[in-house]
Parts: sequence; C-alpha cells; structure tokens
Amino acid sequence: MNRAEHISQEDLALYSMQALAPEEQAEVLAHLQGCAACQTELREILEEEALLALSVEQPPLPSGMQQRFMARIANTPQQTAAANVAKAEPVPVEPLKSSGFGLGWLGWVTAMVAIAVAVYFGNHSFQLEQQLNSDRSDIAQLSAQAARAEELTDALTSPQAKQVTLTETKQPAQPVGHTTYLASKGALIFVASNLHPVAPNKTYELWLIPANGKAPMPAGLFRPDATGSASVVLPQLPEGVEAKAFGVTIEDAQGSTTPTLPIVMSGS
Amino acid sequence: MTPGDGDDASLLASIQAGGQEAMGKFFARYSPMVYSVALRVLKDAGEAEDVVQEIFIQVWKNPGAFVSGRGSLGGWLVVVARNRAIDMLRRRRPSDPIELFALPSSTNLANEAERSVLMEKIRSAMGTLPMEQKHSVELAFFEGLTHSEIAEKTGDPLGTVKTRIRLALISLRKVLTA
Repeated sequence: MNRAEHISQEDLALYSMQALAPEEQAEVLAHLQGCAACQTELREILEEEALLALSVEQPPLPSGMQQRFMARIANTPQQTAAANVAKAEPVPVEPLKSSGFGLGWLGWVTAMVAIAVAVYFGNHSFQLEQQLNSDRSDIAQLSAQAARAEELTDALTSPQAKQVTLTETKQPAQPVGHTTYLASKGALIFVASNLHPVAPNKTYELWLIPANGKAPMPAGLFRPDATGSASVVLPQLPEGVEAKAFGVTIEDAQGSTTPTLPIVMSGS
Repeated sequence: MTPGDGDDASLLASIQAGGQEAMGKFFARYSPMVYSVALRVLKDAGEAEDVVQEIFIQVWKNPGAFVSGRGSLGGWLVVVARNRAIDMLRRRRPSDPIELFALPSSTNLANEAERSVLMEKIRSAMGTLPMEQKHSVELAFFEGLTHSEIAEKTGDPLGTVKTRIRLALISLRKVLTA
C-alpha cells in the first residue's frame, strides 16, 4: 500500500471489514483522518457492506426478545436523564467502636445489613414515587383524551357539521390506495385514487410483501382511468400468506415477476 | 410504514425525550435486521440477542448521537451489528472507528415494503456472483477473516482476494441503481 497516494478502494473495503493486518489498519486510519476524499469513498463502501449485511435471511426473533429489551430500558437511565436518577442520598454510617476480638464483626454485619435495607427501601421508595408520578400523568392524559374523543364524536356526528375537503392550492391530490386483504382466503381488494397517469407501455403493479420474508408476490396489474382511479379485485393469490406490507411499482405493460424500484406507493 | 409509525428522525426525537413506546417501535423496525446479521456471524441465538440488546441500549442511552445525522440509520445499524458480532466471535475488544462514519442515505430502510424488496434484490444479486467472489466477501464480512487468512484458506494470491472482495461489493451497489 502506498500511503502517499489515496487509499485504493480494495484496501478501504478491507479496512472497513477490519480485514487488513493491524499495522495496515492503523496506517489507513491515519490517512483517513486527514483525507476527505477517502472518507467519502469509505462511506460509499460502508453502504455497500450494509447491502451485503441485508443479504442474510431473516429468521424469526427469539421469543420475548422485545419484552426483555423493554424491561431493560425501563431500568436503564438515558445519559441525559442520568443526573436525575442518581440522586440517592448517601447513608451516613457511624464508625463502630471496636469491642475487641469477640463480637466486633457483629457490628459490621449489622451495619452492612442496615445499609442494604436502607438502599433497598430507598430504591423501592424512589421507584414507587416514580410509578405514582407516572400514573398521575397517565390519568391526566387519559382524561384529556376522553374529553377530546367526545368532542370529536360530536363534531363528526352533528347534522349541523359542514363537510369540506381541502386540497393544497395548485397541487394535484396525492395518490392514495387502500387494500383489504384476508390472508386465510387469499382474497384481496385494492382501490386507488388520484393516481398519476402511466406511459402507454407501462402499468402499475401491486405487490404483497409476505410476513415470512419471502419474495414479494405480484398481486395484480392496474392502470388508472381518466379520473386517476383504479382497482384490483380478487387477484389470484395463494391462501394463507400473511402480509406484512403492500407496495406498488411501475412496470412494463405485461407486468413483472419481481418488483422494480422505486416503490411508488406502500403501506404496512 | 404507516404515518403513525413515524420516520427515524421523529422516533429518535421521541426517544430522546424519554419515550419508551417510540423506542419499542424503533426496536421493532430494526431488530430483525440487526438480529439476523448477528446470528449469521455468531450462529448462536443467545449471543446474537446479546449483540442486539447492546446496540439498541446504546441507542436508548444516547439517542442524541444518532439524531445528528447518521445518514442511513438502518444501514449503519446492520454494519455495527456485523462489527460487534465479529468482535464477539474473535474475542477482541470493540475498537473499530468505522462506526464514527455516517452512511449515505440513498436507501430507505425505514420503509417496510422498500426494505423487503431491496433485500430480495440483494439476495438475488448475491446468487449471481461468481462463486469465488461470493466466498471471499463472505469469509471477510461474515467470518471476520483477514485478507491474509482468506488467501491462505483459498490458496489464492492476496491481490486476487482483494479484487474479488471489491468486485463483489461493486456488484451489490448495482442493485441500488438497477
């Protein structure tokens, strides 16, 4: 490697994977610290490595992993909030006078027990206080939400309410699609509006993204009518495929078996 | 991604304000990717979960470090997951400064549909790589071998190993522009 010049892409790739010898790693790092061009190259390579990382199959997560994480963060202060949590008062302990060889240790044991009990109750009290404050806050929030919901219901159901749809001035309405899907029967209904027109040799294609991480499944071709509306009704789909998302792409007129990026509409 | 889920920036802002629910959404969005990478490297579910927990606790403790522009946060998370897992595999202390670099945000991994399609395309691209390229890049990235170790293992010259790894990555980049 010649460090007088920029670092080759090959070496940057190896560096980013820590696949160079330690002395070479150090050499590249030293160069990077003063070379914006190589830093930019490295970012590009890291992005490629992110793609490589995404090539692995996604197995199901271990049962309860998210719950374990949520339990952990409940007891983990954030760095910005750390100061608020670390306010435990130190427990003053009077030094015990020695009573000779006999029962002197008993005093220390008693003191340690006292400290442990004090710390336990201190923590317990602190947690209870936090819980109480949290509950009060929740109740206040729920009351406010209930009042808001009542107000909302009144506004929506009142015969005096005027219904007006506003759109951005001089801007076309945004394309919207709505999918109703019953996985157990493989039944799907898709209705879209405000769609942009597509070229005569192109079509929109709807995709079902399976929850099991398998390849996206084509779920019907559609072209908008003059008003920008379109629908797909009961396309041929196998039964029992759970969906985690739906997407729409633009494909050649005959459709495609794999989606072409970008996804122009999506929902999950 | 539904509007209620929020983009990464708004989720991180909520996390910064102490929002555990937002942290839960963020975890749900990215933990499958992070876990799968860690599992691929470590081949042990318990150790892979340790890596996941460590990375997301880092986000929880100091979300401010991520708010100020990590580029593609999903991409960053999977690269860090790989590095942490390799550290664990090789029993070395985490020392890489790579994680200080933000990734370009040309991929939107926060979007479920886009992510799924992209992953499928990457797997397909990996399937078309010449076997030697695929083997070399996997040995370096997922097994954590150095280029010398790969050369020794495969019997190929060092320069050939370097070139194969680079070509494999370039082929993957084409997925973004295809």
